[in-house]
Amino acid sequence: MLEKLGYIVNIGEQMLLSGAEVHRVEESINRMGYALGAKRVDVFIITSSMVVTFHLENGETYTQTRRILSASTDYEKLHRLNDLSRNICSGELTSEDIKNKLSEISALKCFPVWVEVLCYAVIAGAFTLFFGGGILEAAFSFAIGAVLRTVIYFCDKINSNKIFSKFVSSATITLLAFALVRLKLIPSADTVIIGNIMTLIPGIGLTNALRDLFTGDSIAGLLRFIEVFLIALAIAAGYFIVVILGGMPV
Amino acid sequence: MTNNEILQIIAGFVGSLGFGILFNIRGKRLIFAAVGGLISWGLFVVFNKAFSNEVICYFLVAAIVSLYAEISARFLKTPTTTFITTSLIPLIPGSSLYYTMNSAFIGGFETFVQKAIVTLQLAAALALGVILSAAFAKIFFKKAPIITKTEE
Repeated sequence: MLEKLGYIVNIGEQMLLSGAEVHRVEESINRMGYALGAKRVDVFIITSSMVVTFHLENGETYTQTRRILSASTDYEKLHRLNDLSRNICSGELTSEDIKNKLSEISALKCFPVWVEVLCYAVIAGAFTLFFGGGILEAAFSFAIGAVLRTVIYFCDKINSNKIFSKFVSSATITLLAFALVRLKLIPSADTVIIGNIMTLIPGIGLTNALRDLFTGDSIAGLLRFIEVFLIALAIAAGYFIVVILGGMPV
Repeated sequence: MTNNEILQIIAGFVGSLGFGILFNIRGKRLIFAAVGGLISWGLFVVFNKAFSNEVICYFLVAAIVSLYAEISARFLKTPTTTFITTSLIPLIPGSSLYYTMNSAFIGGFETFVQKAIVTLQLAAALALGVILSAAFAKIFFKKAPIITKTEE
């Protein structure tokens, strides 16, 4: 029983780490806890921490906390965790089953880095076309997108600070796009930069932050909002530093 | 619909597909996510003709697309976030943010503030649309109640 409750907390943690909303994780833990026979479940989650207490029938309480360091987005993992949590609620999974499923899910691989490089390139190219760029701009944007993901890869290697990585990324994009204009390869850097910024901008983060705020998870919402705000500032700072040091190409 | 609009809709689809792969969405769910991107810009083009106010269009599109996301999520038995985050990608005010930054240098302070406000308005419209749909979904798609053993 206690072992199972421990696994529930692990499942919740993994869900948060794969990009689930606070609200959803709280609900899943609640459901699983009651399904396993807890008398009362208290869950409190903010984006960086979780506290879970199960009150058992025999009067004992069981509490665990988790520090959530860096969440990423992995919806395949989230999907499987969600399935697992459904199965725990409805079926008779033994603690051995849950353990095996969890380690199976943890072993899931994301796409290799070269696929991500290709994705960044395609996204940047597509959005350059989207915002009115021509084929030539889109092609350059595609190339810069690939460079951008490589830069992020090295940023991740040396320094896991997200804000710094966004700053460097934004500066790289601007530098390369301005260089293309100065070499007279493209008339304007606008659509190339915008296409690439679309891969950096925390638009969804902002939507989620406001949604958390409006639906009652105020603290989680505020934390997210500040994070999004800092990322937007970092993107702007990366752009500014290139303009200030190198001047705007005309 | 002009060629340019069709190109935009296709580009929106490709953009959502790209993010879907980055977010590690697999199989049928990836297709639903990418189609969401196509729907969202398609709707925007239509609404933009009717209302000619971007903020209202963003709100309406976000509300409808989130509903699409809620329905897809229930159909494919997966968290709604999967489809909301990917489908709304074409609506992210990336160009707005860029022109805001740009105007800090070449537009003067007033243009800068004006553009910054538009960017925030677009983002807020997106969020409100999503919230509205989530609230509707909560009313219409009832979830199984949590079974507690405390009541005696």
